[in-house]
Amino acid sequence: MIYKTFQFRTLLYLLPAVFIFLTFNVIPGLTSLVLSFFDFTGFETNLFRKFVGFDNFIKIYEDKYFWIALKNTFLFVFGAVFIQTGIALILSIFIFFGNFKFSVLVRSIIFFPCVLAPVSVGLVWKKILEQDGVLNSILGLDYSWLSSISLVMWLIIMVNTWQWIGYNLVIYYAGLQSMNIELLEASDIDGANWSQKIFSIVIPLLWPTTILNMILNLIGGFRAFDIVYVLTRGGPAHYSEVLASYLYYYSFSAGGHNKMGVGASVAFVIFACILTIAIARIIVSKRIERR
Amino acid sequence: MVEASKINNYGASFKRSPIFYIITRIVVLFFIIIIIFPLLYTLSLSVRSPETVYSARYFLIPYEFSFENYIDAFVNAEQKLKVSFPRMFLNSAVVTSLSVTLIISMSIFAAFAFSHLRFPLKESLYNVMIASVAMPAQVLLIPLFYILIYLGIINTYQAVILAYAGFLIPIGILILRMFYEQIPYELTEAGTVDGASDFQLLMKVLLPLAKPAIATCVILLFLDTWNEFIYAMIFMQDPTIHTVPVGLAKIGTSRYQVNIGTYSASVMITIIPVMIIFAVFQRWFIAGMTMGALKH
Repeated sequence: MIYKTFQFRTLLYLLPAVFIFLTFNVIPGLTSLVLSFFDFTGFETNLFRKFVGFDNFIKIYEDKYFWIALKNTFLFVFGAVFIQTGIALILSIFIFFGNFKFSVLVRSIIFFPCVLAPVSVGLVWKKILEQDGVLNSILGLDYSWLSSISLVMWLIIMVNTWQWIGYNLVIYYAGLQSMNIELLEASDIDGANWSQKIFSIVIPLLWPTTILNMILNLIGGFRAFDIVYVLTRGGPAHYSEVLASYLYYYSFSAGGHNKMGVGASVAFVIFACILTIAIARIIVSKRIERR
Repeated sequence: MVEASKINNYGASFKRSPIFYIITRIVVLFFIIIIIFPLLYTLSLSVRSPETVYSARYFLIPYEFSFENYIDAFVNAEQKLKVSFPRMFLNSAVVTSLSVTLIISMSIFAAFAFSHLRFPLKESLYNVMIASVAMPAQVLLIPLFYILIYLGIINTYQAVILAYAGFLIPIGILILRMFYEQIPYELTEAGTVDGASDFQLLMKVLLPLAKPAIATCVILLFLDTWNEFIYAMIFMQDPTIHTVPVGLAKIGTSRYQVNIGTYSASVMITIIPVMIIFAVFQRWFIAGMTMGALKH
């Protein structure tokens, strides 16, 4: 601290950033919560005219597509948190300890999709998964992958994993590089084999990094919109809708019959999910600290 | 290279097991193919001549090379979307460069207040910022839309730039605050003893040392704003100011099907520049995204 007390000039440093942050982040965030109790379509000037209480929430409660979207969001988050992190864990250990000649190049290749726009990635995969796409030519099938109600969410999860696995990989790499190598050397003297070393030493030591990756993927999972939008637009018949795309559908793409209040109540649900996770995370980390 | 020797050292412990050697080769090769194939395939589609677009040797090698698809892609964008690819790139460049500049220039000062100055409600405000990083952008979508209409800047660059600034400023402040606080206390103290003002301390002591942190911010913010889709789509519906992802999404998901060659060429037009930038700055990208993640 440079000064012992609050100085007026501190505000000069702070105000521009805080003003923008409040106006374009905090205030819209809170307004969104309030708006979920109002009915508006996007053509009024006064959004707060028609108070409807919990009607919007009842509407989404009764909408079967909301529950599909909610289920899909959790499925997507599950895929990102467990499948994606798991694959990245194995892959990073293999590349790191595998004595590859071109390990830096390998890492760069797997990382590369992270810098692409999800829109570009979605469109690349869309053509591959189409009925006359290359996946069917390779497999000798004639299957419309993205029209399958049971498979479509898993395909979206797969494409998302394809794009973001390199991100988890480089974070694991940072964890591996700061790992204590002496334990491995000691286990060599004790005659541990490679699988024992990985499962009893490396993976437990990487646990903090795994938690970090899971949290990042959890947050990212709730954010997913672009990939769903370009791959399926929530189809077939809303069966691949996630909360974010469901919100978009109700608020902006229902063409004149927009129910933005309903959209706002979906935003409320997303907000509540993230908040629950944030609180859970604080409680868990406090418990770990107490130990 | 320190890093390279370290890697060899770590791997030494696993050198004597042939099974591990074989498994790693198979698994890693498998993933490399999975990662590369979709991109190579799209590239391959885009350079096939229109007559041979549905067939190729081993799915990848075209029978007949042609850049016709790229010409078609440029023409198609201009005629159907009313915005050409160069214009989309210009729009994206304007939005990205202005938002990144705005966010970083404000974060530099605000993070200094958080790290070196005292003010009321400091930690509460900081916690709100941390919490907002986890919030999905869609939560703010509807109210932001109306705020931007109310300000009369919907369908302009400013709409998206300000929305990005509000959404991403916490990231800049988080990273820079953490970095400022890692700078040894003795340095700022020495400056204060010599009679430097807080502004001079920031400009002459902290900022020159904070260059790596600023580079990290630039990379993270560049990727976030360049690739951003939903705000750009909804706040700038006027076709002439579409950014690259919005224009591309329109081409790729429009009801008037474009043919597969044009489609692939359009996708490649958006991927190739990023590929070149990544090839040049890959170490920065990887280091930046790793550092950005560790802030959580």
